Amino acid sequence: MGKVIVVTSGKGGVGKSTSTANLGTALAVLGKKVAVVDADVGLRNLDVIMGLESRVVYTSMDVLEGVCELEQALVKDRRTKDLYLLAASQKNNKSDIQPEQMKKLCLELKETHDYVLVDSPAGIEQGFQNAAAGADDALVVTTPEVAAVRDADRIIGLLQNMAINNLVLIINRLSPEMVKTGDMMEPTDIIDILSIDLIGVIPEDKEIVVSTNRGMPTTYNHKSDAGQAYKRIAQRLEGEDIPIPEFKSGGFAGWVGKLFKG
Amino acid sequence: MFRRLLQLLNREQKSKSVAKSRLQLILVQDRTGIDEEIMESLQIELTEVLSKYFILEREQVEVELEREQDSMALVANIPVLGTKVRHPVEA
Repeated sequence: MGKVIVVTSGKGGVGKSTSTANLGTALAVLGKKVAVVDADVGLRNLDVIMGLESRVVYTSMDVLEGVCELEQALVKDRRTKDLYLLAASQKNNKSDIQPEQMKKLCLELKETHDYVLVDSPAGIEQGFQNAAAGADDALVVTTPEVAAVRDADRIIGLLQNMAINNLVLIINRLSPEMVKTGDMMEPTDIIDILSIDLIGVIPEDKEIVVSTNRGMPTTYNHKSDAGQAYKRIAQRLEGEDIPIPEFKSGGFAGWVGKLFKG
Repeated sequence: MFRRLLQLLNREQKSKSVAKSRLQLILVQDRTGIDEEIMESLQIELTEVLSKYFILEREQVEVELEREQDSMALVANIPVLGTKVRHPVEA
């Protein structure tokens, strides 16, 4: 029996789908059997990020309506063994699926997979409620920005109300240079505020755009900082003790450096 | 010490510190539903009650909601100049 992890953020555009695709891939590369589930009914995009859009035949809606079996709806990844995608219906609305139905789907999936990663839509409405319904744990994704952290706080409160208590944070798109000059919140600032454990920091990386263009998760790119950071998160999820690199502001030296630089 | 002096001279606060303190304020409101107006009237009423017992430096009174880890605390800083309560004379 595996576990269901919802990937969520509240705010849109902080990297939920990118994180789901990369972590799913990284976990499968580690030899785990993984299903990634797009819960963004009506606005699916996980298939595109993973480069599987041309192979989607059935969606979770088809499974729920009895049009096909769950196994038939799972799209097998082209590159990595034991990685599957369950796409969301593009023709339906978020209200066409009920939390109970999602819960049932997740239960069924975790019987045959080590990890079920559910990519939540943005917002706190039904789409999120559905995505979190069957989750055992949650990965909260944020960026080092006021609006994103505020929404993450809201989502953390909602998840705790749903009795999902094993929550960990991914800080995405952190610019080490800006942190150094004191112009971006550093991980400790964000952890102070949100009071949940950090599982990884993804540095800002242009490779993300390139790999999304190609439909090939960045995890495959050994030269990509972001891809490697996702790999380490996958290892941490697997219980490996891998320290998180520190990103800190320059303090006195940084300040003097900046002064002389003008 | 020297470092602190330099920090004081560095008048412009780093934007990350501004972000953090703005967030802390926003989240107190988000989490409790208590806005500035409520805090203000709380402060006024609190000062009224305490004034019955103490002579306060009214302009210096500060009442704030602060968060530490999982818990929230109402932190008040109330400078007292003297007391209005007399010790009862024992017979």
